[in-house]
Amino acid sequence: MNKKRITPLEATNTVKKSIVKRRSKDNRLKLYGRIAIGLAVCFLLFLFYSIFTKGYPGFFQYYVTLDINFDRDRIDPQGDLSDNSLFDGEASKIVNESLFSIIEPKGRKAKKQAKKIVSSGKDVRIAKMVKNNPSLFGTITKVKFALDDDIDSFLRGYIKRETPESERRISDKVIGFVDKLNQDGRITYEFSDYILKGSASGNPEMAGIKGAFIGSMLTLSICLLISFPLGVATAVYLEEIAKKNRITEFIEVNINNLAAVPSVVFGIMGLAIFISIFGMPRSIPLVGGMVLALMTLPTIIISSRAAIRAVPPSVRDAAYGIGASKLQVIFHHVIPLAMPGMLTGTIIGMAQALGETAPLLMIGMVAFIVDIPNSVMDPGTVLPVQIFMWADFAERMFIQKTSAAIIVLLGFLISMNAFAVYLRKKLERRW
Amino acid sequence: MENIKEDFKNLDLTVGDVFSKDARLKARNVNVFYGSNKAIDNVTIDIGNKEVISLIGPSGCGKSTFLRCFNRMNDTIDSCRIEGKITLDNENIYNEKIDVVPLRARIGMVFQKPNPFPKSIYDNVAYGPRIHGLSENKEHLDNIVEESLKRAGLWEEVNDRLLSPGTGLSGGQQQRLCIARAIAVSPEVILMDEPCSALDPIATAKIEELIHELGNEYSIVIVTHSMQQAARVSKRTAYFHLGKLIEVGKTKEIFTRPRHNQTEAYISGKIG
Repeated sequence: MNKKRITPLEATNTVKKSIVKRRSKDNRLKLYGRIAIGLAVCFLLFLFYSIFTKGYPGFFQYYVTLDINFDRDRIDPQGDLSDNSLFDGEASKIVNESLFSIIEPKGRKAKKQAKKIVSSGKDVRIAKMVKNNPSLFGTITKVKFALDDDIDSFLRGYIKRETPESERRISDKVIGFVDKLNQDGRITYEFSDYILKGSASGNPEMAGIKGAFIGSMLTLSICLLISFPLGVATAVYLEEIAKKNRITEFIEVNINNLAAVPSVVFGIMGLAIFISIFGMPRSIPLVGGMVLALMTLPTIIISSRAAIRAVPPSVRDAAYGIGASKLQVIFHHVIPLAMPGMLTGTIIGMAQALGETAPLLMIGMVAFIVDIPNSVMDPGTVLPVQIFMWADFAERMFIQKTSAAIIVLLGFLISMNAFAVYLRKKLERRW
Repeated sequence: MENIKEDFKNLDLTVGDVFSKDARLKARNVNVFYGSNKAIDNVTIDIGNKEVISLIGPSGCGKSTFLRCFNRMNDTIDSCRIEGKITLDNENIYNEKIDVVPLRARIGMVFQKPNPFPKSIYDNVAYGPRIHGLSENKEHLDNIVEESLKRAGLWEEVNDRLLSPGTGLSGGQQQRLCIARAIAVSPEVILMDEPCSALDPIATAKIEELIHELGNEYSIVIVTHSMQQAARVSKRTAYFHLGKLIEVGKTKEIFTRPRHNQTEAYISGKIG
């Protein structure tokens, strides 16, 4: 052992020498931190840039304007505007005739190809228009129809003119027709009325996210209605009421473990219990919401317990000291004070649930469902599953649609978070 | 009355007169355990009507634990177990039939750290009357709040901002708010657990003055670290040491002629 005493002067000098080294260590740490944050910001910016540049065009598509002769006898042969009557009508034929009058296709084959230029949703569009506004009958009105997705991709430049005809999805003849329509000024690039108002469709030009969006809303509502009260009640019970013993400890450990269980396992459980044992229908938001509730419960319970534990014991003492019962202490003091923290946990859980795909695949919410769900008992799908499905389709146009749907999902998420922040601020102001 | 005296053992443990002629609260052979750890050992004492009594003693001697026995605040601690008997007006408060809610309305408490609710000043004071249903209408509640704040000596300072948060007041004001909150439910006894330990001397002086005044209406049990404070506010003083009640007597006598050598050691500053 070196027992030499250090004089104050030596100590000062040693400290001075080491200070440079220590400072540079500090600075290096600061630099690493900045680099890490910088990288993260770069990635994030790149991600958002790529999503928005790819997704933004997804909200637009090409339309062709045609003069439609609203002949009641042909569109609505029974004259009662019923679905049956409109289905029997010749709306498609009228559209085709109007189209042919412009591009003048010669021969059967050319006509067949020409028909495909306009999206197959044309008759539905006319049916909708006359239903909303029967006074259109007897007039000749300009109507915009979506172009087929291949034509759309061609106009966007994804299908190139230079590619040999045999390797192209559209023929030289069709390109000729499109050029003619373009010269006539009939083709326009406009905000799509399908992406936000349409539902799942095999035709990319008609596919929209409304069904999935509503499905997401319904599923999340069920999820919130089940998991929030259950989670908060569980947290309150475990923190405020239950005695600390083996059983509560066991429950605690298991809740923490549940939070780490892969979400697909909850899907399998939902399939086995809700669908197989209880015999509930597949693909419905009710079952989806219940499965997601199971998944988010641990998150909500854990964060709610943390929030409750953060309520100062002095507040409880004060309330008990003045003679408040347990229930009054919980409802007048603990829950109001813990609410901001509980809400944060709930929103995190909901955001997780909103982006969840795997468990919903297990309970059949991946089915191709065209109808928009009206209630939690109607089959439906959700946004992330819709994105998953679209990303899987081969047609070129689904790339933009997928990105557009991602933007909508992100928007949904951000607005949810904003609402959470607003709620939290509002509750905190009440202290 | 007499039989309570009879079932009382180990009188020799405590020096001085533990009994009071006009007793509100009577503690008889009280033992408190935290798990297997004995925190209070066989304590017997009376708290008289409209009497201010100080519990003094070194840190960890169990005086706060003992104080919390009177309104059963120790119930909130899982590991805490209490033996013996404490009566309020000859009714055992540890009887199974006794509900702690009305008991705590009768025995108010003021804590070491000022702990107003994170609500407005008005709501802080009105909380007790509200949960116990003491007020007939809004006007009555307003009166209770005003009266309580006046008695706590806070009315002049806060009457123009009753709706601002109670947590925004200064430490001394917060503690007086807590006292107002406690007296708003018209208790019979007020327990004070080192009410001035977090306050500056001026705020302390105000609280002491207040305790002095309130002593005319309520029985007050005050735990304090400060012997000067005990001397200033209380008529009787009880000295605790390691969970035992060593000596009880008139405050003047305890501080001038302690009979037990441990008491003497404490008040002369040798232990503590």
